[in-house]
Order: sequence, then C-alpha cells, then structure tokens
Amino acid sequence: MNVIYTDVLVIGGGLAGLRIGIGAKRRGHDVTILSLVPPKRSHSAAAQGGMQASLGNVVKAMGDNEDVHFEDTVRGSDWGADQRVVRMFVDTAPKAVRELAAWGVPWSRVQKGDRQVIINAQKVTITERDEAHGLVMQRDFGGTKKSRACYVSDGTGHAMLYAMSDQAIAHAITVHERMEALALIHDGSRCYGAVARNLVTGELVAYVAKATAIASGGAGRLYRATTNAVICEGIGTALALETGVAAVANMEAIQFHPTAIFPASILVTEGCRGDGGLLRDAAGKRFMPDYEPEKKELASRDVVARRMEEHIRRGAGVKSRFGEHLWLDITLLGAKHINSNLREVKEICQYFLGIDPIKDWIPVRPAQHYTMGGVRTDHTGGSPTLKGLYAAGEAACWDLHGFNRLGGNSVAETVVGGMIVGEFIADFCDRPESDLQLSTGLIREFLEHEQAKLDALAAGNGSEDANALRARMQEIMTSKVGIFRTGDDLAAAVEELQSLLRRSRNIGLRYTARGANPELVSAYRLPKMLRLALCVAHGALIRTESRGAHFRQDYPRRNDAEWLHRTLATWKNADDTLPTLAREPLDVMQMELPPGWRGYGAKDYVDHPDTPRRAAEVEAIRTKLAGAARAAVQDALMPCATLLPQRFRGPNERIDEPFAPPAAPRQSTSPT
Amino acid sequence: MTESAAMPSQSISPESAQRKVRISVLRYNPQERGSVPRMQTYELEEADGMTLFIALNEIREKQDASLQFDFVCRAGICGSCAMVINGRPGLACRTLTRSLGSEITLAPLPVFELIADLSVNTGKWMRAMSERLQAWVHMKQIEVDISRLEERMEPELAQKIYELDRCIECGCCVAGCGTARMREDFVGAVGLNKIARFRLDPRDARTDADFYELVGDDSGVFGCMSLLACHDVCPKALPLATQIAFVRRKMAGAGWK
Amino acid sequence: MEHGVPLIVGVGLTDHARKSHWPARLDLAQSASGLVLALFMWGHMAFVSSILLGKDAMWTVTKFFEGYFFFGRSHPWIVSIVVAMVIALVVTHALLALRKFPINYLQFSSFRGHMRMMRHEDTTLWYWQVLTGFALFFLASVHLYIMLTRPDRIGPFESADRVWSDHFWPLYIVLLLAVELHGGIGLYRLAVKWGWFGSADAKAMRRRLKLAKWALTAFFLVLGFATLAAYIRIGVEHSDRYGERYVPAQLQTSPVPAPAGGDLRSPR
Ligand SMILES: Cc1cc2nc3c(=O)[nH]c(=O)nc-3n(C[C@H](O)[C@H](O)[C@H](O)COP(=O)(O)OP(=O)(O)OC[C@H]3O[C@@H](n4cnc5c(N)ncnc54)[C@H](O)[C@@H]3O)c2cc1C
Ligand code: HEM
Ligand code: HEM
Ligand code: SF4
Ligand code: F3S
Ligand code: FES
Repeated sequence: MNVIYTDVLVIGGGLAGLRIGIGAKRRGHDVTILSLVPPKRSHSAAAQGGMQASLGNVVKAMGDNEDVHFEDTVRGSDWGADQRVVRMFVDTAPKAVRELAAWGVPWSRVQKGDRQVIINAQKVTITERDEAHGLVMQRDFGGTKKSRACYVSDGTGHAMLYAMSDQAIAHAITVHERMEALALIHDGSRCYGAVARNLVTGELVAYVAKATAIASGGAGRLYRATTNAVICEGIGTALALETGVAAVANMEAIQFHPTAIFPASILVTEGCRGDGGLLRDAAGKRFMPDYEPEKKELASRDVVARRMEEHIRRGAGVKSRFGEHLWLDITLLGAKHINSNLREVKEICQYFLGIDPIKDWIPVRPAQHYTMGGVRTDHTGGSPTLKGLYAAGEAACWDLHGFNRLGGNSVAETVVGGMIVGEFIADFCDRPESDLQLSTGLIREFLEHEQAKLDALAAGNGSEDANALRARMQEIMTSKVGIFRTGDDLAAAVEELQSLLRRSRNIGLRYTARGANPELVSAYRLPKMLRLALCVAHGALIRTESRGAHFRQDYPRRNDAEWLHRTLATWKNADDTLPTLAREPLDVMQMELPPGWRGYGAKDYVDHPDTPRRAAEVEAIRTKLAGAARAAVQDALMPCATLLPQRFRGPNERIDEPFAPPAAPRQSTSPT
Repeated sequence: MTESAAMPSQSISPESAQRKVRISVLRYNPQERGSVPRMQTYELEEADGMTLFIALNEIREKQDASLQFDFVCRAGICGSCAMVINGRPGLACRTLTRSLGSEITLAPLPVFELIADLSVNTGKWMRAMSERLQAWVHMKQIEVDISRLEERMEPELAQKIYELDRCIECGCCVAGCGTARMREDFVGAVGLNKIARFRLDPRDARTDADFYELVGDDSGVFGCMSLLACHDVCPKALPLATQIAFVRRKMAGAGWK
Repeated sequence: MEHGVPLIVGVGLTDHARKSHWPARLDLAQSASGLVLALFMWGHMAFVSSILLGKDAMWTVTKFFEGYFFFGRSHPWIVSIVVAMVIALVVTHALLALRKFPINYLQFSSFRGHMRMMRHEDTTLWYWQVLTGFALFFLASVHLYIMLTRPDRIGPFESADRVWSDHFWPLYIVLLLAVELHGGIGLYRLAVKWGWFGSADAKAMRRRLKLAKWALTAFFLVLGFATLAAYIRIGVEHSDRYGERYVPAQLQTSPVPAPAGGDLRSPR
C-alpha cells in the first residue's frame, strides 16, 4: 500500500492551489500539491486580460473603492452571489495585487501624463496624475464602473502564475506533477485525503491529510466549443460530487465568452474590447450600440455573448464552411498598441488564423468560458457537509460570482480565495479537532476500489468507445445547454446524457496498458464528466428563469420570487443517473445590495417579496448614516468585518485615501 | 461607420485542395517492456486550419490509441507541447500542418527525461533548474505591508521585466542547444534568462556576487558556447542572445576581481 | 524562515563557500587570447602578403622585424622571441579551448547528431570551429616550429623555397583555410558572445555581423591564396637556385654575390 502523509493536500497547482499551499506552509504546515501537469502549465496561465482590484490608481478609476467593486460584482452576478463573500473578496483583492507586486509580478505601471485611448470608437486623450506614476496600471473591463483590472501587458495570468509558482518553489513546497486525484478518501463525515494515480506509471497512491483542498479549475471541456485548456475537465469538482456527501452548486451557471476565435475557440482577451475594439457583423456594421446603447461592447459577458448569438440568429452572421461567426475589429487601435499591449492576441491570430489583426478583422463567436458553479463551500472555503474538505478557485462555488462572473474577477478570486482559504485551512490544522483518526482499512478500501475500477477497464471487455461518448456529450452540451436554453432542449439533453452515462459503464479499450495510457485516462474520466454535465443540464432544466449567464428562452425573466436560490447537487448513489438537487435560498434581508436592475441587459424581473422591505431598510440606514465613513455605513448594512482572517483585515490605502504619513505599525503578524 | 478594407476579402483559410500528410513519429515507451525506439508513420487527410494538435489527436482517436503526447492550452501559451518538428524544437499546437511539407517528422525533445513517445518531463527539469538558480524574487524583507500602496516602478522597467518574464518554460531552447546536449548540468538559456530577469528586477535584492554563485561557472553562463539556437527556436521570441551576453558580461565582471 | 529557504536576500547564499573566480577569468582569457590571435593573424597576413607588392617589399618587412632598420644589422632572434610568444599564446588558447571540446566520443556523436538534426548555421559553425581548431593545433605547430628555429630563413626567396621546394604549400593551403575559417567564426562569436554590437534590432545586427564575418573570411582567403600563389610562382622560378638568399635591388651594388655570413645576412 502506497501511502503518503501530509498536513494539507492540495488538488491543483493553478493560482488557487499554489496560494493555498503557500499560506498553509507559511503557517508551518506540511503541504503536498497534486497536479495533472507542471503547475506553471495550469490554465491560470491563459488569463490575458487582468485582475480586478479597486486600487483607484488611474484617472478612469478615481473614486473606485471596495464599495464600487462590490456593487459591480453583485450586479454582475445577477444577485446570485453570496454578498458576504463578495465583501471579503473586494476587501482583500487590493492586498492580493500588492502581495503579488512584492513577489515579482511585473504589473504594467502608470505613466504620468497624456495617453491616447480609444473610447467608443473615438480617440481620446487621458492625462494620468503625477501621484499615480509608477503605481499599478489598470484597464477597463466589461461590466465594471471603473477601470479596475490590473494587468501585465497581455500575459497577466502567465506572470501571476509564474510569480506564484516561484514562491511555492521558494517555500520548498512539494509538488507531485502528473498525479491525478481519482477519489476523495472519506467516511461520510470527514475527508481524509485522496487516492491519486500516477499518470506516468499508472501506480495508485493514497495521500492522507488533515485537510484536503480542491483547486482543480474549471470544467470547460464538458463543451465542444470552449476556451478552456484540454485539462479543464472538472475532475476535481466531480470528486467532491462523487463522495455523495459534499455538494456542488450552481453548475448550470456557465459563462460563455463573446470573443473566441472561430472555429478553434481560442480566446482573445476582453481587453481587446476594453481597449476600444468593436464588434461587427457580416455587413461590417457595428451592432452592439443598437442592443446596448449604454455599455455597448463593454456590457457584461453574458449580455454581449447573448447579443452576438441573437444577431447571428437574425441572419447577420458571416457564413463560413464551419458555420457562422462575427468580426472583432481592433484595427483602429493601431500597430503600436497591438504590438505592445495585445501581442498575444496578434500571435494567436497569426499562428491559428494566419491573419494580422493590425489590418484584418478577427472571426469570433462566443464559446464556453467559465464555470461559476463548483464545490459548495462556506465563506471559509470549507465544505459545510464534509469536514476537512476545502475548495477554492474556479473549482469552488465559494459563491463570489453567482450566475455570472465579471472579467478579471476570476484570477482575482483564485488568489484572494487562496489567501483566505489557506489561512482557514491553517487554522483548522492548528486545532486538535483536525487530528487524524482513521483506520488503515479505510485507506485500503478506497485504494482497492479505485484499482478495481481501473482493472475492469483495462480488462477491456466493454464495447463502447470512450472518445465517441465523450464527443457526443460535448456536442449535446454545446448545442442544447448553451447560451440560449429551452425546456425541450434541456430535457432532451438530460435524457441523452443519462443514456451516455449508462453506456459509459460498458467502455472497452483498444489500448490496455496500465501506465501512461491516454485512452484509459479518458475512459475513467468520462463518467465523472458525465455526472457533472448532468448537474449542469438538470440544474438548467429545473431553473425556470433567466439569471446571469443562464438564459432560458422560455423563461426570459429573472424571477427572484421563486429562484433566489443556489442549486445544490449531490450524487447519492454511484448507480444513480441523475443528481439529487436541492435549493439553498439566499436571504434578501441580509443583503447589502438588495436585488434590482443590473444597469445593462433586460430590465424586467420578478421581485422577491422581501426586496422592497430590505430596500427600504437599506435606504433608512443610508440616510441615517449620511456623511459617516464608508466603512461605518457598510458595517451597518451588512456586518462582516470579522469574517476575514485577522491578517487580511483592515482598509486599503489609495492615492485618494492615504494612510497617516508615518508608516502605520505593521498589523500583520509575522509567520516566523 | 468606418469600413475596413480588410473585411470583405478575408476568409478563414484558403480554399486549398485537400492533401494527404504523412506524419512519422519517433516512438518509444520506456515503461513498456520490449519497447524499442522506432519510427512509425501515419497518413491522414489534411483539414483546413489543421494544427499538429488536431492532427495528433485525430491519429490517436482513429488510428492508434497508444500514441502519447502532451497538450494543455492548445493555444501556444503553456509550453506543454514542445517537440522536435522536422528537426527543430517548436510548439506543436500552434504549428499549422500546411506550413510544413507533406512529410512531417516528429520526435520528443532531447535532453529531458522521456515519458513516452512525444511526451517528456520538462516540468521536472524546470523545477530542478528553478531550485538550483533560486529563480524567485529574493525580497528585502519577508513581510510586506500589503494594505499600503505598492512600491512604485518605472513603466518601462516593468515592461522590460515582462519581456523576459514571458518565457513559458517549454524547453525548446534547451533541446536546441548543443551545449545542453553534450553536458547534462548546463543550465540552458531558460536558466540564464531567469537570472537576467531577476537581476533586472529591483525587488530582488541580490547582487552580482550572489548571481555569480549561481551561474558563475561552466555549467552556468561560461558553459554557453554562443550557439544561439536557443534564440532562434524560442517560440516566444525572447531576446536570449542579448540576455546571455549581458549576463556573461556581468558575471565576468563579478568574477574577475 | 524555519525551513531554511532563502526567501530574502543573502540568507543561504553567504553560508556556503564562495564560488571560485577562475571560470570567469578563464572565459575572459579564452576570448582575449582568441582576439589577440585573430588580430595577430590580420597583421600576419598583411606582412606575408607584402610579397604581392614585390620581393623588395617583403624583404623590407622581414628586415624590419629583424630590427635591421633600428640596429643597422639583422637580429633574427627577435623574430624567434615573437614566435615564442605567439606559441605561448596559441598553447594557452588551445588549452583553454580544450575545455569546450567534447570530452568523449559520446559527446561528440551526440553533438553531431544534434547538428544534423537542427541544420542550424551557428551550431554548425561551432562544429567547424572545433574541427579547425583541432587541425590548427597540429598544423600551426609545424609552422611555428620552423619559424622559431629558422627565423633567419624568412624572405622572398627563402620563404618561396620553403613553400615550393620544401613542399610546405599543401600544409599552407590547409592551414590557411583552417585559420581563416577559425578566426572568422571566432571573431563573430566573440561579438555575439559578449554582445559587443548591441542594437535594438538584435536579429538584424546578427545578420550584419554574419555578413561581415563571411566577408572577412573571403577577403583573407583570397588574399592568402594570392600570396601563396606568389610564393609558389617565385618558388618554381627559383627552384634551381634553392637556398639562395634574396638581396634587394638597392643592395645589389657589389657584382659578386656575397658569400654566406655576409653582414646583410644571418649573424652566424
Ligand atoms: C482563455 C482564458 C482566459 C482567461 N482570462 C481571464 C482574465 O483575463 N481574468 C480573469 O480574472 N480570469 C480569466 N480567466 C479565468 C481564470 O483564468 C481561471 O478561472 C483561473 O485561472 C482558474 O484558476 P484555478 O487555480 O482555479 O485553476 P487552474 O489554473 O485551472 O488550475 C487547475 C489545477 O488543477 C489541477 N488538476 C485538475 N484536476 C486535477 C486532478 N484530478 N488531480 C490533480 N490535479 C488536478 C491542474 O493540473 C491544474 O494545476 C480566463 C480563462 C480562460 C480559459
Ligand atoms: C592552435 C590551436 C587552436 C585551437 C585548438 C583552437 C580552438 C578553439 C576553440 C575550440 C574555440 C571555441 C571556444 C568556444 O566556443 O568557447 C576557439 C575560439 C576562438 N579561437 Fe581558437 N583555436 C586555436 C587557434 C586559434 C588561432 C590561431 C586563432 C586566431 C585566428 C584563434 C582564434 C579564436 C577566436 C577569436 C576564438 C573565439 C574566442 C571565444 O569564443 O571566446 N584560435 N578556438
Ligand atoms: C610570430 C609567428 C609567425 C611568424 C613569424 C610567421 C611567419 C610566416 C611566414 C614568414 C610565412 C611565409 C611562408 C613561409 O615563410 O613559410 C607565413 C605563412 C603562413 N603562416 Fe605564419 N607566421 C607566424 C604565425 C602563424 C600562425 C600562428 C599561423 C596560424 C595558426 C600562421 C599561418 C600561416 C599561413 C596559413 C601561412 C601561409 C599564408 C599564405 O601563403 O597565404 N602563421 N608565416
Ligand atoms: S526561453 Fe524560450 S525556448 Fe526557452 S523555455 Fe523559455 S520560452 Fe521556451
Ligand atoms: S544554444 Fe546553447 S550554447 Fe548558449 S547561446 Fe544558446 S545556450
Ligand atoms: S499546448 Fe500549450 S503551448 Fe502548446
């Protein structure tokens, strides 16, 4: 029996996983990180555009602060988010950027003086303040009131992931690469680690840990057309689901990105539009102002993606042999800007399309992009139902994003979540209740169970082709559980996905080696992916309203009266073909920002009965405290200052909100 | 409305006649008993916009389930898919088959530990390199007060650091380097570039004397024989020749005394 | 930090013994010796090719190096001293360069395989630099040994006789090819190695350096072969009077050729 003991087991070496690891290690706990690939190859590296944090450095961000970021995020989420978590997040995001700045991320910096930008297809001159010179630069992103996205040229995620990974190496954190978690070891109430498979040798290893954190990223590969990497298959999320105890939440909330190149679905950054790029149709006409006169190309992602598909449906798409698409035009930004700030975009166009975006328009069409849902956690990142299990990053439903996450909020979430959850995990490991009392029998049982499944597959008696089933699943998800959803389509999807799940029990392999064997890998991942796909499709079928990225043509209105709920899914029995769904209501009376219009998109929605009452309450508090400090008002509306770990509490300094000149005594407690 | 001249004529890919391509792969799986290195050739129909990523996946799905290779981002940014393509290291995912002849030869990157077929363990090599070169920012103090304004940096300097930070650790420069092929312990251009990157970074408080400790020998910068293949194959077009020369000058200066 | 990892500067680095400074010095010495040799070869070529301007020109140059115009008489040992210094330099350079040679057949063959696979110009050039360096080791030794031991036998006829009648021309053809290739590549490499001609457009600069390198090599090869041809021609014409020394026109006042040991000739 191959068993490795560690204090904290982190499944996933992306930004979220690494930051958890660093946090726990700094607090003196032993950490082991598992990853399918070397950490620096994780999909966090793909984020081009930026990381949201209300630093308020640039002119177009003046007046920005935690409150504005909070409102943008909650509106963006279509009120699906946990507002206390959003608070924790917006308060910590500036700290996260600054920590990364100290760790070596070469954030683009503010250059004082005049700067030419394109706003609404017009050249505009912006003059940056002298005081801001050399601070972290910020750009505009969809769905936000202020320029808030901090960025590193066009390689934000790459630079962040490299700095983070280098810190993990500096902290001598053990990383086991090409090691895939296959199952969580648990006894129905406590998680003890995971069984993992060495992707090179095929060997199974049991990792036994006080705390296990899932940070395995998104599940884009449930879809055919996705911007996600090929390893974003949602396996980590599925592991939690398969315990039957932990829940996954809001899986139907899937984001589609407006601008994926067509047909390869490789993302070109939102920054293209943020910097002034335009969307055009077959006639060359800029069409977004017709739909969204206010924010135009810069409305939130779900809105832009939907408008694009709508426009294509109206017959304005460009026809090609692979289907229809629209154009993204960044030619007006000029060669200099593209060559320095959007170089990655230029490379993608050159290598994958053979075009030059300085002169040519880019063929684009929306594609799956982000999984808002994931392993349900409370504000500490812990599973409310399975002790010792944590989750963070895209794999988690910490519930920062609700039904739609804003561009740039996601890499921010990985780091902020990693910081916060890392501390809570360390707290947990510090407490005696985290001590491990498990029998080696349990470990053996889990190992044997996984081995038996692999052996059965390798015996190769089945007749189904894993790749074919998988391709079918991806097709169903793209065509029936996509941007526009209807009850009929969803019901058909659920039906067929169930049949695929049944068929997946009868997979046969052509190549049966037990070591490195890609066919075997895709065979054992398939049922996991199908279960997640069923959570998505089934959740979408049940949710008879439209909210954020989840859009039902047959129920186009947001319905707070009935659907101000999270969808919780559990998989009670391995033999089930459907998840068990439950509702977790959101309490309007606790909300700092009661539900209302988002400021873009459809204006009609059905109010929750509590909404007017809460709105009046909020209004009253605001009037009463008029003139009081921001923080005081906030605290009166939704007290949550004590939710954060001690070391991340406290205000953030800005140019316009300076701290007392003599350096404030460092309130952070040193870990040494 | 501004009408771009580019729009009407543009098509996604030229309507070229479909052709057959023959892809020969150097196959060897050290895990498998009895496996010996051999070339295996697959023939397939070229599709529009076909990259080696698409081609290899098609081969694996339709012709040979045992073929091993690594792709992650399939967008040319993660560095997973470096392999030797017609004799030169490069990223397979962003290589269009139409940019190559109809006979394509693929081999795994040399120098790195072979996992199987086209899959090599670059991750392990890179981690060892990072540990050896202590490739991270060595801060002046461990705790920074992150609630205060970040330290300022000149915009051009930040841009310069990013230029060197763009390395994706794909390993092409190492596999393309004759020195690295002859000497196992050579840090390679990727490592020397890291030194240049951290040396440039004002947040890293190390001095040239400190860097000399890391690369001031023949497995470090003085081992580089200026073959410059690293520079020519780097898929991110990093200025490796300039940076290695720069590190060499600084290290020669630091070591001369 | 408790796990002893150098997160902050200085921790860890100062603890272990400082690294030797020799690799830096040796690298500099290798480059410097190569540079001096390469520059020397330019001068050498100018000196040897003076034959193209006529025998008297070559004679004058020879005598100049023998100190004739300073001391009023020839001191070929001066040449011997210079040769000895050059030998020392060549030996130093060769020893330093030896560190870069493949140390065994495995390394050699893996480099060759690599070169064939890559078909990359600069990689291939290095291979040629090693090969020519290796050849120079032997070829230059022969030449230098002669120059060291018979400095007196340098001159329009003396050299021509050696080239032709003593059958040195095959050696010189190979030596010339080797040294020009080696020196040209070496200078180019020095420039890129130390980043001498930095420029914003590194690629274009390298192209220009490469061009300059080939131009230099071509120039010196043409000059060298012309020179060699001149020596061969003189050598052929002079073969029946092998061993006779050259007396320039302005000194041929005495009708009778002076016997060996005359004041214009060897001091012995
Ligand atoms: C093209 C693209 C562009 C984006 N741009 C932006 C942007 O500009 N701004 C923004 O905020 N967000 C952006 N996002 C979203 C953001 O990048 C991701 O949501 C975020 O990086 C996810 O980070 P993570 O740490 O949760 O997971 P990842 O970085 O995906 O890491 C997942 C890790 O889990 C490991 N893993 C997975 N399964 C297992 C298993 N079973 N066993 C062991 N290990 C496992 C993987 O190896 C990997 O190391 C973008 C996303 C995409 C696809
Ligand atoms: C006699 C035997 C010689 C041998 C064995 C020899 C060998 C070598 C080798 C192997 C190199 C490559 C070193 C490297 O890549 O780091 C080299 C470099 C060089 N050689 Fe020679 N060489 C010899 C003579 C000469 C001569 C006569 C010249 C003058 C023309 C010369 C000029 C150079 C130059 C300029 C370099 C570049 C130096 C550097 O890269 O640092 N060499 N030599
Ligand atoms: C101080 C040292 C040297 C002296 C005095 C010297 C002198 C000469 C002389 C006099 C000749 C004419 C032919 C002859 O007399 O044989 C000659 C030719 C030549 N020497 Fe040298 N030499 C020296 C060093 C070198 C070195 C180091 C090399 C190269 C490694 C070299 C390469 C050649 C070649 C290639 C020729 C033939 C040139 C031609 O004919 O074009 N010499 N040298
Ligand atoms: S320097 Fe270039 S070739 Fe080398 S690892 Fe980095 S990106 Fe790849
Ligand atoms: S190819 Fe190798 S020898 Fe030096 S210049 Fe590049 S590292
Ligand atoms: S798969 Fe990421 S670079 Fe090719």
